[in-house]
This record gives sequence, structure tokens and C-alpha cells, in this order.
Amino acid sequence: MALKESEAIVLRTYPMREADLLVTLFTRLDGKVRGVARSAKKSRRRFGGALEPLTLVRAVYEDRERQELTRLDSCEVMDSPLTRQMTYPRLVALGHVAELLDEVLPDREANDALFRLTVSVLGALRGPEIWMPLTYFELWLTRLTGFLPDLSACVECGLDLEGEPAFYHALADGLMCVDHKRLASSRLSVDSRRWAVQMFRAPVAALSAEPWPKSVGEDLRKFLMQIVQRHLEKKLTTQPMLAKLD
Amino acid sequence: MSRFAEPMARLIEELKKLPGIGGKSAQRLAFHILRSSDDDAEALASAVRDLKAQLRLCSICNNITDVDPCSYCTNPTRNHRLVCVVEEPTNIAAIEKTKHFNGVYHVLHGTISPLHGVGPEHLRISNLTRRVDAGEVDEVILATNPTIEGEATASYLADALKKLRVKVTRIATGVPAGSDIEYTDEVTMHKAIEGRREL
Repeated sequence: MALKESEAIVLRTYPMREADLLVTLFTRLDGKVRGVARSAKKSRRRFGGALEPLTLVRAVYEDRERQELTRLDSCEVMDSPLTRQMTYPRLVALGHVAELLDEVLPDREANDALFRLTVSVLGALRGPEIWMPLTYFELWLTRLTGFLPDLSACVECGLDLEGEPAFYHALADGLMCVDHKRLASSRLSVDSRRWAVQMFRAPVAALSAEPWPKSVGEDLRKFLMQIVQRHLEKKLTTQPMLAKLD
Repeated sequence: MSRFAEPMARLIEELKKLPGIGGKSAQRLAFHILRSSDDDAEALASAVRDLKAQLRLCSICNNITDVDPCSYCTNPTRNHRLVCVVEEPTNIAAIEKTKHFNGVYHVLHGTISPLHGVGPEHLRISNLTRRVDAGEVDEVILATNPTIEGEATASYLADALKKLRVKVTRIATGVPAGSDIEYTDEVTMHKAIEGRREL
């Protein structure tokens, strides 16, 4: 079969057999693709640092008849997270992005909007600031995958929540007003909902100038991850590590 | 029913669990052991048994050793104030091959890996900070792999160790000796130019 060429983001690699690596790629052309990089574990000569997670590459791969795994022919690095200083918070943030994409994306389904979102968020994650790009990524990811409920109205009675207190619960499908909140609900602040509206209107680069300590939008991130984990029916590995960061 | 007698089938099954050993290789090795002398077979069995029974981690550097502290930590000719931090015990052999490093080691047994749920608390860092905090060390060389996980682990350790007022250095990254710049990948070349030195 013919070789395909596509921009791709490396999500994960796993050791396979003695010398090979099983690589999960988020390609622009085919969505999430799994392929075998022959001898990539034993020798770095062919792929170099191109298979490090969250590296943007131009991948050349070949689909094989009646085989689920593609054969990864080559990867040319377009942007690598290793070209900037890799700190512990940045590693956890990048790991979180990779895990979310790997878990949420279906196999072989192109999603150009999500691809462009990831590239722009990876650009914003080059610096030391992680909380704003992560919030932006989680918000848009839940929206683009169709998981995000309406943030402006109560899911139970339809009350407009503009300027009103809003609540969320692990078992509820959206935000609730003060009258319909469930026992042990958490509050989603008005400020965080305003940030969400702003994030839907502006590119991530336009918000990079604002200082974003962890406390800003923390309730929004918790709300978004609760939605994602509920849909995935599993806990994310990187979530507790993010929670422990300062 | 198995094609082989039960002890032979059991040995083949066990050998197949080793890395790089498939069914055919396991069968060949098992027949080789069967044909060898009783002494050779016994020596192999006892070597495997002793490996598990006698080896442990050095209480100072976490290297795999049969005596505690290990031979590096007790060697009086080595510079004990210079510590090289590596990911795995196997990395020590690569550094020793250079015959250029006369310090001692500290083995982390892994790197920080968020995707695998491995945080700093899962690595063997505490006995390193204790050594540094006790004033026993002048310089710590961070020799983790130049991967994103290795770099982040080095950055995390550097932050933690600098608070203890010790010199912290990182091994250089660049073009391998004897190779050709034309075939060097983009990331390595970027690092090589970034880490250039004046002649």
C-alpha cells in the first residue's frame, strides 16, 4: 500500500518485542493511529528524538492490509518539547495533554479542530506557565468532543445562571442552580465561567499575557475533568499529579 | 498433550519468559542444558538462585550489589565528594567504560513519568538528599537520559539539591563522536548548538 504523509503529534510509546516501539500518533490526516517503529528502541539513529511524547512531527507511515498497526517509516521533527527547558510541572502538564488525547480520541477519525487546538496549546506550554494553557485545552477538548454541557443555564430548570451561583456534581449532566443543586455539589465560580466565555472567544496566545496561578480557574478544571472522567468511566493517571503541583 | 516430557516443557516455558527468547530459542537452550554435564547444569541453576538470594540494593547509592555498601561506595581511591546520578544500575557500566569518572554514583531506579503515574516520591531520592545535606558532597552530576522524562527528573533534582547549596551539573548533549552532522536529528543538533563551548 502507498505511503501516507501527515503532520502528527506523538502521544505515547510502548516497548514492543526486543527492539521495536509501538507508537500512538495523533495524525492530522487519520486521527489517532497506532504504528510500529522498527528498531526504534534499540537504535536512535532512525527516529532520534522524534518519538518523545508531544513532539510535533511530519510522519510517513504505511497502512498494511488487514492489519491494525501501521508501519512507521520516518518522522521528521517540526517542534520538540525538548528544545525548551523541561521542568517537572511542564512534564506533568504535557503528560496530561497526551493522556487526555489518547483516552478521548477514537481510532482513525480525523479531527482537524482538535489537532489545531493541541498544536496551539503545545506552543503555549513552551513557557513556564501551565495553568492557563491547560484550562484552555481542557475546556476546548470537552467542547470539541461534545462532552461540555451548557454553562449558562441550570440543567434541571433552565434558569439563566449569568451572575448567579452555579453548582456541579459528579453524577449530574450539567450545572445546577442553588435550588436544584444536589447534596455534596461543588460551586463553579462566576469568575471561572467568565474565563470560560473569554476562552471561547480568544486564541490561547491572546490569553498568555495574563498571570495564572493555580488557584485561577481551579474549580473550572475540576468540573471539566469530572465530566471527562465520567464519560471515560475511568480516572486519569495524571490528574492526582497535577493536583499535587503548586 | 505436550510434545515434551513435563520437566523439559516447564524449562522451555520458563526460558520463553526471558527477553528476546522465543519458542524455538527456548527449545534450543533447553536441549543444550539437557546435553550439558550435571556440573554445568547445576552451576547455571545455582547462579540463577544466588542472583535472587544474594543481590540487594546498596544502602548508600542504591546500586545493585552483593555486599552493602557496594564496591564503589567503599573504594577509598574514588572521590566520594563527586556524585553522578543515573536512572538505572546498567547506566553505571556505560560511565565506567569511559575510565574518565572517578567519583561515586547514585541510582534513582527510574524517572518521573506522569503517564505511568510515577512521581518524584516513587524514585530513590531521599538518601541522595541526606548525603548532600550531611555535607558529604561537593558536586552532583545529573546523568539522566536526554528524554523529556530524564530532563524533567534532572530539573526536579537540580531544584531540590540547589536548596542544599551544592554544585549541580548536567551531562552535555550533542553530536555523537565519529558520526556525521548531516545525519544528526534536529533535536540533538539544536542541543549541540545550544551547548556549544568556546575553544
